[in-house]
Amino acid sequence: MIVKAFQLEWLKVRHYRVFWVLLGLYLLSLIVLTSGGAVFLEFLKYRGLKWEGIDPTIIPIYDFPDVWHNNAWLGHFTKIFLAFIVVISVTNDWTFHTMRQNIIDGISKKEFILSKIILIAFLGAISTVFLFVTSFLIALVYSHTHAVSDMFSNLEFLFLYFVDIFKYCTFALFMTIIMRRPGFVIVFLIFYSLIIEPIVGAILKFNPNINEVTGWIEPWLPSNYFSITSGLIEVPFPRYFLQEVQEGILWYPLFIAIVWSAVFILLSARRLIKNDVR
Amino acid sequence: MNTTLEIKNLTKHYGRVQAVNQLDLTVKPGEIYGILGPNGSGKTTTLGMILDVIAPTSGDYSWFDGENKVTSRQKIGSILETPCFYSYMTAVQNLRVAAHIKECSFDRIDEVLKRVNLYERRNHPFKTFSLGMKQRLSIAAALLANPPVMILDEPTNGLDPQGIAEVRGLIKDIADEGKTIIIASHLLDEVQKVCTHFCVMRRGHKLHDGSVADILGETNYVTVSAESEENLQTVVKSFDGFQGIEKEGLAGFLVELKDGFSSTDLNNYCFSQGLTLSKLDPKTKSLEEEFLKILSEK
Repeated sequence: MIVKAFQLEWLKVRHYRVFWVLLGLYLLSLIVLTSGGAVFLEFLKYRGLKWEGIDPTIIPIYDFPDVWHNNAWLGHFTKIFLAFIVVISVTNDWTFHTMRQNIIDGISKKEFILSKIILIAFLGAISTVFLFVTSFLIALVYSHTHAVSDMFSNLEFLFLYFVDIFKYCTFALFMTIIMRRPGFVIVFLIFYSLIIEPIVGAILKFNPNINEVTGWIEPWLPSNYFSITSGLIEVPFPRYFLQEVQEGILWYPLFIAIVWSAVFILLSARRLIKNDVR
Repeated sequence: MNTTLEIKNLTKHYGRVQAVNQLDLTVKPGEIYGILGPNGSGKTTTLGMILDVIAPTSGDYSWFDGENKVTSRQKIGSILETPCFYSYMTAVQNLRVAAHIKECSFDRIDEVLKRVNLYERRNHPFKTFSLGMKQRLSIAAALLANPPVMILDEPTNGLDPQGIAEVRGLIKDIADEGKTIIIASHLLDEVQKVCTHFCVMRRGHKLHDGSVADILGETNYVTVSAESEENLQTVVKSFDGFQGIEKEGLAGFLVELKDGFSSTDLNNYCFSQGLTLSKLDPKTKSLEEEFLKILSEK
């Protein structure tokens, strides 16, 4: 059933130019974000900028194994493009009435939603593999250490990166199934997860008048796009100011992400199964 | 296999509107079953429910004596009102999706495309197709799995006369292969021409069901004409089986006979009275009249 659902989705996106363009743009932005750091630091050096006499290019952001954490955090900003692919893939099946046709031809609504979840997992996997390869290559060039034990430790950040994408895309899937129109959903995702929710989250967490009561809500906000304060992957760069940073999987955010993914999937499936297909 | 489709108490409400109400239906293998009804009578809703795209309010249905509904649908070829395909894909690519879902070999694709005369256009995107070609592609998709059952919803709606003729020809071919066909239509002559069984629906209720042969047959009406209209009227009025007479334009007179008298009896009587009829045309029932009668009775 899983193989069938995967092949079905593959047959649909294979010849879809928009899919490949979006995926290409996404991977391109991923490269820029994860390997642009070297260029950026070179630029700072070129402009003669120095922190207390330290050459900026000496900051070892691409050292094994820190590179996994650094790039996972940088890379997770672009996941909204993957969410757009999910939105378009689902709404296409409505605008062409092909979800209806698929069901009439002989799949269940469960298999339909499964095919979309597999698409999400597939996109997450592509992105994770891509992140692994680009980070590995750039670290081979810039890393000060090439010990194999360093190279392949802290790979759990790639796992967290995958979970982060998966969860956000299930959120996008659920919003698509509720809102139905691709334009609405895309605008909503941009405004809600990039602007409104971060502001609300910051208020809940940092407003000294209420944060003792409301602080706990912030990590539970449904999209939690930026893992700045309390996400799966915390900001890695304070380590260069000799502060403590996340060293492995944070179990509470992981628990939250898994709960939300399950909730989004179950609610999506329930709504799809209960409602008539037009 | 005893029944192809069995519907029991199927009901669908949209708010307070009853789209389909307590519908019972049985379709047996080999039947060509017409679901007749005016627009909005619940035909399409019924088809939507038995194809699992519309959730019934209550009631149930079963395919092939209760086989799994999902795999049952893979053995049903459906042609619904509007052809639904991915506009950015070619005919072949679209049929691959359908073949994949129906779990049949991609090898069949060329065959069905040739059958509906789209083989030359197989690598053109769906969005460049005319309505007739789109309709033909959906027929191709329905034929992919060589299904024992076909469902057609208003198959000739919106087609030009040539398209209608093509689609009807195809339906007949399919019927000749011994497949079971379920057709929803408001076109009576369509049903009369191809169906063996039918039911009539109105406002979600089933008003009648039975075989087409049972309901069609001779009526008590005969159209007659003769050289002398006056003579004809006198003679006919003196016939034992006479019930009524009415002038029917230039065609002659429409004579209603009492039950138990046939047009042959009338002809014999006139001949014995020395009147030769120049025209004797017993009226057969048409589904249209019976349909209107059924609709007005209840």
